[in-house]
Amino acid sequence: MKNQSLVLTKRNLAILLAIALSITAFIGWRLGHKTVVQPPEEIVDYLFWQAKDLTDFKLVGANSKTLVLNDLKGKWSFIFFGYTHCPDVCPLTLGILGQAFTLLENNPDAFQEIQGVFISVDPKRDTPELAKEYASYFSSKFTGVTGDTAQLDALSRQMSALYTIHPKEPKESGDNYLVSHNSTIFLVDPRGRLYGRFPPPQAPQEIAEVFIKIRMFYNEGANK
Amino acid sequence: MMGLFLKTLIALMLGFAALSASADGVDIQIQDPWVLAAPPNVKVMAAYLEIKNNGQKPRILTNIASPAFGQVGIHRSVMHGNMAHMEHLKELTIPPNASVVLKPGGLHFMLMDAKKPLLVGDQVPMTLNFQSGEKIVVTAIVRSGQMEGMEDHQHMDHSGHENHKP
Repeated sequence: MKNQSLVLTKRNLAILLAIALSITAFIGWRLGHKTVVQPPEEIVDYLFWQAKDLTDFKLVGANSKTLVLNDLKGKWSFIFFGYTHCPDVCPLTLGILGQAFTLLENNPDAFQEIQGVFISVDPKRDTPELAKEYASYFSSKFTGVTGDTAQLDALSRQMSALYTIHPKEPKESGDNYLVSHNSTIFLVDPRGRLYGRFPPPQAPQEIAEVFIKIRMFYNEGANK
Repeated sequence: MMGLFLKTLIALMLGFAALSASADGVDIQIQDPWVLAAPPNVKVMAAYLEIKNNGQKPRILTNIASPAFGQVGIHRSVMHGNMAHMEHLKELTIPPNASVVLKPGGLHFMLMDAKKPLLVGDQVPMTLNFQSGEKIVVTAIVRSGQMEGMEDHQHMDHSGHENHKP
C-alpha cells in the first residue's frame, strides 16, 4: 500500500513534469514566434494577416506594353483602381499618393523601390494611353494600365477590389455614366504578394510614414 | 497677353460683382470657389465652394452652368466601406441661416465634357441658378488638392485621428 502510493506519486510527478515542460516549451515557442512575425502596432492595421501570393495577370499600358505579375517583383507597388471620368475621389487619392511619393524622396533607398500603378476599370472610355497619361500627371513614378473585363477581374478579384459600371442616367448626356470602385490603395511587396493596404481617407504623411515602417519590418523579417 | 489681361479683368469684375451682391444684404453668399486640378486629358472635373444662406428662407440651387463645360451636375461622393460611389442630386437645398460646404470626398459640382484642358491657375466661370430665379456668377480657380489633404491630416492629428485608421 505504501509502495503503491509512492509509485503513483512518482508517476504523477513525471506526468506533472511533462506537462510543465510542454507548457514552458509552448510559451517559449510562442514568445520566439511572436518576435519574428508580430508587426509593430503602428503598422498592424495596414497589413494583411498573411501576405497573399498573387497569381499572374496581364494588363495593358501605353504602346501595347503589358503589365504582368513579374513587373511588380523587385519593387513595392502602390495599386489604385479608378477611372479618369472620376472628378473627385480619383484625382484626390492619386494626388495624395503622389504627395506621399514626394515625401519619400527623403529616403532614397525606399524611394527607388516604389512605383504607383493606376488601373482604370473603365476600358470603354479609358484607353491604355489615356490611363498612362492620367497616372503620370500625379507622379513620374506612376504608370497607368487597363484591360478587358476578364483581364481586370483577374487582378481586382485577388484584391477584393470590387467595381461596378452603372448604366447611364437618362439625364446625363453623352458618355457620362458613373463607376463605383474600391478607393483603397493596395500595397504589393517586392515578392509580388499582396502585403498591405491604405484604406480611405488617406493622407500623404500617413502613407509615407507607415510605408517606411512596413518596409523596415519586411526587411528585418527577410534578414532573419 | 491681351487675352490673359482681359480674362483677369473679367474675373476681377465678376468676383467684385459677387462680393458686392453679398455685401448688399443679398441672402446668398459664395465662398472660395475652386476646381480640383486634374490631368489635362480629362473630360470631367470637380468644383467646390461654400454656399451661405443668410436669409430666413431655404434656398434651392437647381442648376449650374459653365462655358468651359458641356454640362454641370450636383454630385455627392459616398463611401460604403471602402467603396466610392457617386450620387446624382437633382437640387441642393441650403437651409436658412446655414451654409453648405462642397469639398473633396463629398458634395461637389461635377463638371462634364470639358471644352479644353484646364491647368492650375486657370479660371472657370460658373453661373449658379436658384429656384427663386436668382443667379450668382462666380469664378473658380483651378488648384491642386494635394496640400488640402495634408492640411486635413494635420488637423486630424489634434482631434479625431483615430477615426482615420482602418
